[in-house]
Amino acid sequence: MAGEMMTGNLAAAWGARLAGVDYIPAFPITPQTEIVEALATWCESGAMAARFVTMDSEHSMMTAAGAAAATGARVFTATSSQGLLYAMEVLYSISGWRAPLVLVNVSRALAAPITLEPDHNDVLAARDSGFLQIHAETCQEVLDSILMAYRIAEDARVMLPVIVNLDGFYLSFTREPVILPAPEQVAQFLPPFRPAHLGFKASAPHALGVAVLGGTPYSYFRHQMHLAAMNALDVHSETAAAFERLFGRRYDVVEGYRLDDAEDVLVMTNAFASRGKVAVDAARAEGRRVGLLRLRMIRPWPADAIRDALRSRRAVAVLDQNLAPGQGGILFQEIAASLYGEPLRPRALCSFIGGLGGKNLSEGEFRAIFDQTAEAGVRGKGIGPILLYTEAEHREMTQLQALAGGLNS
Amino acid sequence: MIAVRFHGRGGQGAKTASRILGTAAFLEGFVAQDSPIYGAERRGAPVAAYTRIAREPIRERGLIVHPDLVVVADASLIPDPAARVLEGIDERTAVFVNSPLTPEQFHAQGSLPGRLTTLDLTDIALQQFGKGGAISALLGVVAGRLVGLRQDSLREAIVRELADLSLAASVIERNQAVAFNCYDAVRPVLVEAVAPQPIPPAQLQRPTYEPPTRGTARISAAANSVLRETGGWRTFRPVLVPDKCNGCWLCFVYCPDGVISMTKDDKPVIDYDHCKGCQICVHECPTDALVAEREKEGGVAWRAK
Ligand code: SF4
Ligand code: SF4
Repeated sequence: MAGEMMTGNLAAAWGARLAGVDYIPAFPITPQTEIVEALATWCESGAMAARFVTMDSEHSMMTAAGAAAATGARVFTATSSQGLLYAMEVLYSISGWRAPLVLVNVSRALAAPITLEPDHNDVLAARDSGFLQIHAETCQEVLDSILMAYRIAEDARVMLPVIVNLDGFYLSFTREPVILPAPEQVAQFLPPFRPAHLGFKASAPHALGVAVLGGTPYSYFRHQMHLAAMNALDVHSETAAAFERLFGRRYDVVEGYRLDDAEDVLVMTNAFASRGKVAVDAARAEGRRVGLLRLRMIRPWPADAIRDALRSRRAVAVLDQNLAPGQGGILFQEIAASLYGEPLRPRALCSFIGGLGGKNLSEGEFRAIFDQTAEAGVRGKGIGPILLYTEAEHREMTQLQALAGGLNS
Repeated sequence: MIAVRFHGRGGQGAKTASRILGTAAFLEGFVAQDSPIYGAERRGAPVAAYTRIAREPIRERGLIVHPDLVVVADASLIPDPAARVLEGIDERTAVFVNSPLTPEQFHAQGSLPGRLTTLDLTDIALQQFGKGGAISALLGVVAGRLVGLRQDSLREAIVRELADLSLAASVIERNQAVAFNCYDAVRPVLVEAVAPQPIPPAQLQRPTYEPPTRGTARISAAANSVLRETGGWRTFRPVLVPDKCNGCWLCFVYCPDGVISMTKDDKPVIDYDHCKGCQICVHECPTDALVAEREKEGGVAWRAK
């Protein structure tokens, strides 16, 4: 087996190192800390030429990151969960400056109640910030996506920052074989960053993010960001082709798994999609025609690719590892919106909420999804949102409630 | 695919053991994956780590519900429901327990099904290193022996993983030597990849609305942490040698779990129902008035809570 055993966190750090970043403002948070620790070590030892600065908070960290990118530096930083929320205000500014840095988010469910384990409410809270989003399934994909992210972000047709997301624990602390691309090949893939609209030169002053009142310029500039984000779909395909030519690995905006003759399709994102594929194999072994669609790019939203993959299916199940209280699954809404105008849309669209706070998605839960989705397809009527939460788990929950309340269970 | 699940206590080295196994398998050309699960990192608290070894890319992630081999670094974990040591173990699962008890003694207790093998790694570490502490190299090598990995790859894996923890070369060499004593000493049992049985669909519960007294994460039971008797976590018990104690209160200050109280004449009293055996007090005592004594497993002194 080629490569090296490394965690998703270390793979993320390698992505930044191979991308030859200039500047890394950092603030630690579980489960992201190993990324900034590795980068700090490399900057200290001289293995990396970047300037590493520890900031006092994520808000300062993102401000420094955006400001540095606005001077034309290639910038990397990483955070997670509450840290991302604390930096949120700055995300909108950075995308508005069209400063194309790369931010890694290691997903961790949001407080309260507090936990360390993953779900995607953190990263999806940034879905409207103007940052593009790539969600990775494997440690290799984390590294590769960071390299791709810089090339897409820095393309003049895009010039927007990118979040690369990986799941806490299930990728961040999981080691698996990762192939390190050769630095010379990375240099070929990723040209030097020379933005025309950014930079810091005393002889050529300019102001960025200026005040615009009256709404007209605001509308125009915000719409420019939208067009830039939409351009990223094509730029992603070109980038994916170039990446494949050099490194032999291919990543598209969505990934289909055993979709060819699938009548029912499960839609997932991130690391648990690996387990979803195992579940698809198990169901296939019993003669069930199911497949999986993994969304890799969340922003821009790859509506055409999603429609192509889901058209004419009997039923589609969307497994959201997030919960918008009072609404349901976030990706479910977006998938439903994409399919509304599709004449050959699936007969049933089903919404499942699972893996919240890192709760295991068990084989039995996947079976329940496939069963209920098939039934919904036969009936021609969607279901959900259904929480993946078992009777056995509820019994344990009841015991915890009794302990916390001082009652004897 | 071979799925190996390690159970240990925070500080024992279960995570590093899972990495030594993963690295060794990888060095032999297998695809490997290893990952730890620990909650809030707490010395002595149950930790699990997983290593998967296969010839094909591995798609499973996270929890191993159906292990082919379970490595138990501390027998006191077996009866602890929070540690879930017994989950998914049946008569075909290979199980290694770090314990002075024999497999027959475990079988007689009826506490563990599976193909059992045991070795007292704690005692070996105590004899060879002169202190209790992380036994990651020993656990990793024993697991490697049981799944049939080669000595050379395990040797290299120990170097890589312990160097990664910034241990000195001499310490790493010593660990290697002791680990390979264990490699030779452990009685092999068959580890085979058992084809997974089809699982029925999960019975889903639809939680209904409950009043906020129950429906929010809130603890209203006062002082219920005393119910969690962490004394069963101990491998080593701190014992006071009263003559040596100078009454400085340092042990009281350093105990992370607040289980030391001081008498009127400035002598520590340890609450053994809750002392988790981290030995921090032993290390901090300036006069060596606290000594670590090994708990006797299977004897009266040892009781898992
Ligand atoms: S009494 Fe000593 S060994 Fe026990 S928990 Fe406190 S510091 Fe640790
Ligand atoms: S630290 Fe040692 S000397 Fe000081 S009070 Fe505790 S036992 Fe006595």
